[in-house]
Amino acid sequence: MLESMFASEPIADNGFSVQVVRKVRRHIWLRRLTLPVATLVGLLVAFKPMTELVMVIAGLVQVIPQDIVDTNAFVIPQFPMIVLGAMLLAACMLGVRMLEE
Amino acid sequence: MTTSEDHQLVARVVSGQDVDAFGELIRRHQSHVRNFLRKLTGDYALADDLAQDCFMHAWKKLQTYSGSGSFIGWLLKVAYTTFLQSRRKSKRYAEILQEVGHAKEADSSAYTNPSDEVGDLDRFLAVLSEEERAVMVMSYACGLSHREISEATEMPVGTVKSVIFRGKEKIRDSFDIKDYQHG
Repeated sequence: MLESMFASEPIADNGFSVQVVRKVRRHIWLRRLTLPVATLVGLLVAFKPMTELVMVIAGLVQVIPQDIVDTNAFVIPQFPMIVLGAMLLAACMLGVRMLEE
Repeated sequence: MTTSEDHQLVARVVSGQDVDAFGELIRRHQSHVRNFLRKLTGDYALADDLAQDCFMHAWKKLQTYSGSGSFIGWLLKVAYTTFLQSRRKSKRYAEILQEVGHAKEADSSAYTNPSDEVGDLDRFLAVLSEEERAVMVMSYACGLSHREISEATEMPVGTVKSVIFRGKEKIRDSFDIKDYQHG
């Protein structure tokens, strides 16, 4: 008796599944857009502090003992730029990792 | 509606984020999920909103479906969790309304049927607690086994059996139904 009492006619779809699929597609697009948009906004926000950081790091390069610079500059004249680049790369990698997390 | 077809569709969704395959899964199961939620809430509009939320949750969590039980069992578990979450939210909302003095609006937790016609089933469901209603609907309206209900509600199988027994007793006592009439 309870089975027949609880039994009910199947509910017609009437666009229900289409509506949910549309929501799912919107959700996928939002997820795809989130990271690039967040990165762009982050870059815009971080632009000024980043340039200041670069200036500070550039200043730090001057602190490297002159004899080390001279020894390596003898072999590689772009040594200070390489050091600066490596430091920036490390900072970027740390930043990307933090974003990923 | 076979389980192996469901499993194939789930595999397509999980492996390639195939939205069309997920659409097919919705078409196959929307009636069960909406019926379950309609019987649980007694409110068709709310039930359909919850069903949409349920399928969105299902999309996000589909990779957690192990494939060991039936897909509809897993889906009803998601639906029941969605229902409980919404009930918790509306309870909190009711508390806030009560705090600011809207006591009348706050009373939204009881089972209500929005239509003027109140059928036998609506009267039966009204005497059951939320938990009993969910278990009875899963068992009698959706045809889930005790094990599937146990997985969906995270209750031990023995508890599921006793909830069903208690629900039947309540219905029998409330409506003076003889033993031979209910299954």
